[in-house]
Amino acid sequence: MNAGRAHLVLLLVAVAGVGLSVSSWTRAAAVRLGETQGKAPEVATASASDMGYCSGELKVILKRVLTSCGLVAGGSSRGCQPLQARQVASMSGGDFNALFSPLADRAAILQFDKDSDQIDGASSELMEKTFSDRRGASYFFVVSRASPEGSTEHNRDLSHRRGNAVLEHIRAKFQDPDIDQEVGLLWLGEEFAQLDQQFCQWKRSRTGDACGTAELNRSSFIAWIDCRL
Amino acid sequence: MSQTDYGQHEVGATSPRKTLILLAVFALAGVIFAGVSSYDFIAHLDRQVHAITCSIVPGIGPKDISGESGCHTVLMSPYSSVLRDLTWGGIPIALPALGVFAFLLFRAVDLLLRKRMTRAETGFMVAATALPVLTSIVYGIVSATQIGTFCKVCVGIYASSLGVFVAAIAAHILTSPPKEKSKSGILGQWGFYFVEGLAMVALPVLFYLTFKPAYTDSLLHTSGLRHPEDKYGVMLDMHGKGQVPAVEVLDPLCPACKGFSERLAASGLGEQLQIKVVLFPLDKECNWMVSESLHAGACAVSEAVLCAGDRASKVLAWAFANQDDLRARGGGGQSAVYARIKQEFPDLASCLGQPAVRARVNKGLRWIVANSLPVLTPQLFVRNQKLPDEDTDLGLDYVLSRVLAQGAGEVRR
Repeated sequence: MNAGRAHLVLLLVAVAGVGLSVSSWTRAAAVRLGETQGKAPEVATASASDMGYCSGELKVILKRVLTSCGLVAGGSSRGCQPLQARQVASMSGGDFNALFSPLADRAAILQFDKDSDQIDGASSELMEKTFSDRRGASYFFVVSRASPEGSTEHNRDLSHRRGNAVLEHIRAKFQDPDIDQEVGLLWLGEEFAQLDQQFCQWKRSRTGDACGTAELNRSSFIAWIDCRL
Repeated sequence: MSQTDYGQHEVGATSPRKTLILLAVFALAGVIFAGVSSYDFIAHLDRQVHAITCSIVPGIGPKDISGESGCHTVLMSPYSSVLRDLTWGGIPIALPALGVFAFLLFRAVDLLLRKRMTRAETGFMVAATALPVLTSIVYGIVSATQIGTFCKVCVGIYASSLGVFVAAIAAHILTSPPKEKSKSGILGQWGFYFVEGLAMVALPVLFYLTFKPAYTDSLLHTSGLRHPEDKYGVMLDMHGKGQVPAVEVLDPLCPACKGFSERLAASGLGEQLQIKVVLFPLDKECNWMVSESLHAGACAVSEAVLCAGDRASKVLAWAFANQDDLRARGGGGQSAVYARIKQEFPDLASCLGQPAVRARVNKGLRWIVANSLPVLTPQLFVRNQKLPDEDTDLGLDYVLSRVLAQGAGEVRR
């Protein structure tokens, strides 16, 4: 083979090698693109959290409570009074409190002085810490109570004022535009679901003080609920 | 073309043959490295994520599937291709490199198969091999100064370039000078080789442009934000030069976000945008949507960006520049990241970790939930139209320029 012919053959081999490689790579990419076109990407979509403890039963009760308390439906009246809470929960006070058992790490008990709705420094700090630790939760519960001293009506009103004080503090501190859709108020007075001694182990604003049922129930129980309804 | 016209010489004792073999070996290595690099680039034309080769010995060692190698960084950098706004992904630099090395290999083998060669031929080889050397020098400087990392495959190309150049010089020196010189003949011969070389470089580019997947406008039909309003006050206004409203969702410790930011800046298209940033840290410390922290420490850094107020862009730029260090610290817990931030920005110490700023980070995540965005970063919305996630890297220039043109009523066909 003379030099000129060898030169031409080599040139053709080089051209063919490069050309075929590049064309096969690009055509393969085009085929793959055609196959994936129109298919939804396999990426998770951002959503509120839905923890394992959010059983179907719990969600039904939560929805009932939230709807009746004017939270989900967006009704004009806000909050659940003791009798309403008892009716919508359709359960005993003990069972109602048991609903919150999985929230031990998420909840806090803001304690008040006797016959007072004033939020002290420790309660304020604990409240802000708890509220800011929202994570993916959708609803924030404020369940206020009163100890049995005094009349039932007075304690109902007192627990109502305690709940409102907490809500107003959160509203002022965090300026959350969704606050009316996410904070559920329940004021139970002394009539329903009083906290028992075991809640002394939970996060409280007055950890150094004595903890009896009277002290425990002069309180607002607050917690984010990590359930999607 | 006759070789006898302008002084050819028999290969004697000082034969350049061995150096030509060496040149052919280096050229073959260049073909392999440039081929691997081209293949990896072209694979991404399907708009998907692919593992890429990142080894000084291609085929040996695992491919990079995490996207954390220097090869991935270089591939996704604005310097891996040219003419990005004219065709999706642009034309990869490795493609003409493949043509150049294939041409050098062809020339070396062609000379080896002959019994005689001229200094004109070896002189042309010196000139031809100078091109990849010069390109390698430029890209080596770009890697060191602009990209901040080197890719092993690219280093292979640099070494091959140097190898062919040195071998060509040696071959030229070892080739006896002609007894008679014919300048016009030499120029004609060089011109012929130059055309051959040009064809070898143009051919892969032509094949690439001919067979590459077409980008249809239907790919641009993506949903926008359901709730673009900033009712939580979580958007950070940081790039205020342009007029076109845009929202960028990013994680300050996400390498892809850093790369995206660099590509956007390099494209020049970012200057047309009035970008507002929403932070989406993919760190389980504050983000319930990830079971494992993809970018540990991102929650603490997000707090710092929010705490910085008007200096948010400065803190974000610092976080981008120190991503590796911050992520490594984040793996050991938030406190190590806080300590590093406080060291760099002491005035942020009183704000970091406080309920108010944590609530702001959370509000940003809630804004993302409200808009049902995919759990990934970065994401860019221009005039409330989402730039497809697959087009935020190699296709950014091309697709963003189309989106901007569409908005201006000047759709380029």
